[in-house]
Amino acid sequence: MLEVSGINVSFGQHRALSDAALSVSRGELVVILGANGAGKSSLLKAIAGLVKCGPGKRVTLDGRDLSALPAHLIVEDGLALVPEGRGVFGELTVAENLLMGANPKRARAIEAEQRDKVLTLFPRLGERLKQMVRTMSGGEQQMVAIGRALMSNPELLLLDEPSLGLSPLLVKELFAAIGSIRETGMGVLMVEQNARESLRIADRGYVIANGRVTGSGSAAELQSDDSVRRAYLGGVT
Amino acid sequence: MTNAVLTGLVLGGMYALIAMGLTLQYGVARIMNLAYGEFLIGSAFASYFLFTGWAVNPLVGLIVIVPVSFVVSFLLYKIFLTPLVRRARTRDALEVDSILATFGLMFIVQGILLTMFGGAYFSYSFLAIPVTVVGEVLAMNRLVAFALAVVLGTVLYLLLTRTRIGTSIRAVAVDPASAPLVAINVPQLSALAFAAGGALVASAGVLISMFLTFSATSGVVFTMKALIVVVMGGIGNLMGCLVAGMLLGLSEALVATYIDPGLTIAVNFALFLGVLLVRPAGIFGRGGR
Repeated sequence: MLEVSGINVSFGQHRALSDAALSVSRGELVVILGANGAGKSSLLKAIAGLVKCGPGKRVTLDGRDLSALPAHLIVEDGLALVPEGRGVFGELTVAENLLMGANPKRARAIEAEQRDKVLTLFPRLGERLKQMVRTMSGGEQQMVAIGRALMSNPELLLLDEPSLGLSPLLVKELFAAIGSIRETGMGVLMVEQNARESLRIADRGYVIANGRVTGSGSAAELQSDDSVRRAYLGGVT
Repeated sequence: MTNAVLTGLVLGGMYALIAMGLTLQYGVARIMNLAYGEFLIGSAFASYFLFTGWAVNPLVGLIVIVPVSFVVSFLLYKIFLTPLVRRARTRDALEVDSILATFGLMFIVQGILLTMFGGAYFSYSFLAIPVTVVGEVLAMNRLVAFALAVVLGTVLYLLLTRTRIGTSIRAVAVDPASAPLVAINVPQLSALAFAAGGALVASAGVLISMFLTFSATSGVVFTMKALIVVVMGGIGNLMGCLVAGMLLGLSEALVATYIDPGLTIAVNFALFLGVLLVRPAGIFGRGGR
């Protein structure tokens, strides 16, 4: 469904990504593992059209070419990003954030239906619709961010470190929700530091180091791969 | 006392309306428009011209002047300001650039107005009928201006809080970096917000011309007051505009009545500094409503 290749990103002299490539199929949950500063977030931003890329970038979603589109049109085309730090509108209410999520034309017709789905997935948001998002806890804000992205009726959801700063209990809850999103047939591409929990629900994974995709495999393969275990799973389990 | 309060309310309503336009331009489009007051004076002259030249009722004039100002502001943003927005690396850089650019624009508009009308003060007599409100005599034109300011402010508030496009405008005000993630075309919406600000200041110009005298060079006073109100209320915050505008209008009227009319500007700034000392982000903080 999603085909990405030739992603080159530089920040001044620093090369963040070199010729990165990956793919995600429909209904697949793919996780990107890597150390801090490996280029994981840059990769998601590049796919979502938020950072300038060098030549060679190619991003297609179901064959539609998204390579040259600005970020706001990429969402229209069915690719929604939940950025690192969530990117929610803190001064707006939960309901308003969800309303904004349904901005793309593809989302309008089924807005009410989609909203019901989001509120079923995250019942806590239903109780807090009128609350200013800035005043909510980190976990709740993450729910708003994911809910807002789901409102756009995406074909593929990009998640950048959804578990960052959440308690272990919340992480389990969140990953269960992400797992159930995948069950609906939506593709999910997720960057995570929490390799253990994310590989538990993922189908496949990629490993990024120093701006290059250095490895890939099924979740089971990665879980048993020695170098992955050493680097990201805290040694022997 | 009642008279001073009534005068202050009318004035405050005008200030709130003017500030709402500036808060759209500054809070959403990120343009600190120093030529803002010039647009107000330009509209006041347009209204004067229509009324004295062609006997067009200023309230009818609004229907012409406001859309024209909307279009002019839109084009101004698209042609003149978009290059600045494109090349600005940060928000602060854009602020500095826009201040310099609109500072120049201020002199251009002012120069044109000066060649057309000279430096004299202008006014016209429209609806100068005395009416009695809670025992005090007030000119009808002030009441009409106030009523229209209330209507316009309410409509704007409802548009911004109850509609999708209005909520999008607020979303850009609070977090422009995240807005593209929800399919908002930020440059387009910024142009729209800037144009809407231009429309609002034009309406304020027409309303003010009905009861205040004005000259080609009085724009800067309104820019300054609008800026004070916007910062006092919290940038991008409409409720803040309303409260801070009323506060400013009332304090001016009370000081002019009981102390000395020459002290109004001093009081403006005293109030401004006071608010900034206690609440640096404005009475209501940034963005939101």
